[in-house]
Amino acid sequence: MEKNCLKSKIWTSVLALLVAMPIFVVALSWLFPERELWVHFSTVLLPSLISATVVLLIGVGLGVTLLGTILAYLVVMVEFPGRRWLEWALFLPFAIPAYVLAFVYLGVFDYSGYAQVWMREVLGLPGFDIRTGSWAVILTFVLVFYPYVYMMARASFKRQKINIIEAGQLLGASPLRVFFKISLPMARPAAAAGLLVTLMETLADFGVVSLFNFDTFTTAIYSAWGDFRSIEIAAQLASLLVLVAFLLIYFEKKARGQAKYYSNDVANKKPYRALGAAGWLISLFVFGVFMLSFAMPMLQLIIWGWTSVGEEWSVKYVDLIISTSVLTTSAALITVGIATILALPSRCKRSSPWIKGVISMATLGYALPGSIMTVGLLYGVNQVSAISVYFGGQSINHIIFGSIALLLFAYVSRFMAIGYSSIKASAEQIKPMFTQNAHLLGASRLRLILKIYLPMMTPGILAGGLLVAVDVMKELPATYLLRPFGWDTLAVQVYELSAEGLFERAAVPALIMVLLGAVLMLILQLLDKKSSKNF
Amino acid sequence: MLSVNNLSIAYQTTQVLNEFDLSLATGDIFALTGDSGSGKSSALRFIAGLDEVQSGQVILDGKQLSSSGIHKIAPELREIGMVFQDYALFPHMNVQKNIAFGIHHLSNSEQKVRVEELLLMIGLEGFEKKYPHQLSGGEQQRVALARALAPSPKLLLLDEPFSSLDKNLQKQLVLQVRDIVKKTNVTSILVTHDKHEATIFADKVGVIENSQLTIS
Repeated sequence: MEKNCLKSKIWTSVLALLVAMPIFVVALSWLFPERELWVHFSTVLLPSLISATVVLLIGVGLGVTLLGTILAYLVVMVEFPGRRWLEWALFLPFAIPAYVLAFVYLGVFDYSGYAQVWMREVLGLPGFDIRTGSWAVILTFVLVFYPYVYMMARASFKRQKINIIEAGQLLGASPLRVFFKISLPMARPAAAAGLLVTLMETLADFGVVSLFNFDTFTTAIYSAWGDFRSIEIAAQLASLLVLVAFLLIYFEKKARGQAKYYSNDVANKKPYRALGAAGWLISLFVFGVFMLSFAMPMLQLIIWGWTSVGEEWSVKYVDLIISTSVLTTSAALITVGIATILALPSRCKRSSPWIKGVISMATLGYALPGSIMTVGLLYGVNQVSAISVYFGGQSINHIIFGSIALLLFAYVSRFMAIGYSSIKASAEQIKPMFTQNAHLLGASRLRLILKIYLPMMTPGILAGGLLVAVDVMKELPATYLLRPFGWDTLAVQVYELSAEGLFERAAVPALIMVLLGAVLMLILQLLDKKSSKNF
Repeated sequence: MLSVNNLSIAYQTTQVLNEFDLSLATGDIFALTGDSGSGKSSALRFIAGLDEVQSGQVILDGKQLSSSGIHKIAPELREIGMVFQDYALFPHMNVQKNIAFGIHHLSNSEQKVRVEELLLMIGLEGFEKKYPHQLSGGEQQRVALARALAPSPKLLLLDEPFSSLDKNLQKQLVLQVRDIVKKTNVTSILVTHDKHEATIFADKVGVIENSQLTIS
């Protein structure tokens, strides 16, 4: 048994540490301090950037938690008109990249956007700058990221036993009291997990904040690199971000506590039915969120795309779609493969703090902005080359730089957390009793994995793969900086056009991307329905 | 006093219960038995306001709760206590909080007194701070009973509360719960598939056979 554990430890560690490499490289940058620049950053830039980042995180955190849990509760627990299709429609915003929603809202509500022109000229309202203050950028993030909390809270509400809620009702609790005292506390770990992902995404975002001219901590990292040409400072600042991510994960784990239930009870029957006006009011609210986060931006994209498709469409789009698909598929396959190995249940993993530690390191890349991931990788490859040359070998720079392998490495490192958490969740459904039973029946570890673990984890593996694919397709900074020559993707095309303010033309690649994303989300929904029937 | 009139339940095309009538005086202990699928649990859930049925009327202490199979009064306003087959204790609350859930309108000290009184009655003094997963099946069952009794309901419904316990414990608890119910003088309905258990527990026993109720 001891020997097996050693093998498992080595395997897991090598994989996990490889995935976590960019983080270590970033941390190593502290070996090269740049005092003068630090003084400038810490006195001039950082104080205001940190407070802006904190405001952003609090605003977005509150917003997604409220919106995500309320929507999830309504679709799971309350029967109201249109509930069935709204339940899955609320997932669709996943398909819209944050920077696409940002440019649509900017195009519409900017000073010269038609919504504001109409408000000024027809309603006589004073003009306003949507980029002032933090409300617009917070709202944009909330509309893009609420599905994370929604998805996790919904799954958790669905597992709650109907009897527990009925017991609350019969003890005289109003629907609100049932929500706050029973359903919400039981769903808290799941909602916290969704919140964690949201906060990390917000921390790592560059597209939205740069379109809104909203300076955050990430801006400082870009500034260190772009304006001051200091990879070290950029990496040092990025390592602080990793530290924040560590803290967030710690608090989430703590909040989760021992709250883990092995329950397959699905609330098939809705405890509440909202009849008449109340039902329609709920429909209106849920539909409103769907309109703002998906339908209206989509409509705007379609209108813009329609008017500019003649000018924008050309054969190069075939290449864009092919390279996007190849990158997305390969990155998703590799990520899911590694994540599955890391998530396979084993006694060694459960008992070893070391393995737990390296795995959580492998999933930290999620908090790292794509460009910092890039810095880490380039810096790392450069160091390896330097060492190789020092010992009389060859530089590997010309092989690695500009190769698809480096870009795929960045994707895997960055999105490991998404694939891992989904697969891990399905691994946790495997009750210890199955394993014990299989062992008693004489099954080897390999047979256990092939016949029991993998089949039971399949829903999680598929879901994880799809989620990673959607994220890879939307990923911008790492793709932009690391793509080999001739590997332009749809995301790069959207960025290049919208950065120049060519919103109408940017709508064409954005639409194709959203469409592909929506297809992936639809498949995810179908899988979800199928697996909830099976268990 | 409780009266249930003209209750009919059908699943798709099968009629399980036809024109069920029941009338109980305050303090009556009634047991309802029948084979599984005979509609006894459905009848209980309809009285509690958890399910709607084809037709039927429920009147409790002169107040009409349901009519024509549709609920007029939401379950939370019915003043009915219920013990579920799987107890349905709130897993994230300790025993004290579980029992006090239905009496949160009382002051903290009044709640404490009431919880202590109930714990004494069910023989679980000192269990306030324990969580449901730290309790045995029999203990959970008694806590569920205390929780249902805490708000002094006008009617107590027990849905197969003894069925997941082992035989020895079952016998012991049936008598214990019966004593508690007698002491509080609450009108009660026990649903069980076990005819022997029904006779020990109740003053009156009803059997559902071929969608008809016969009371002995």
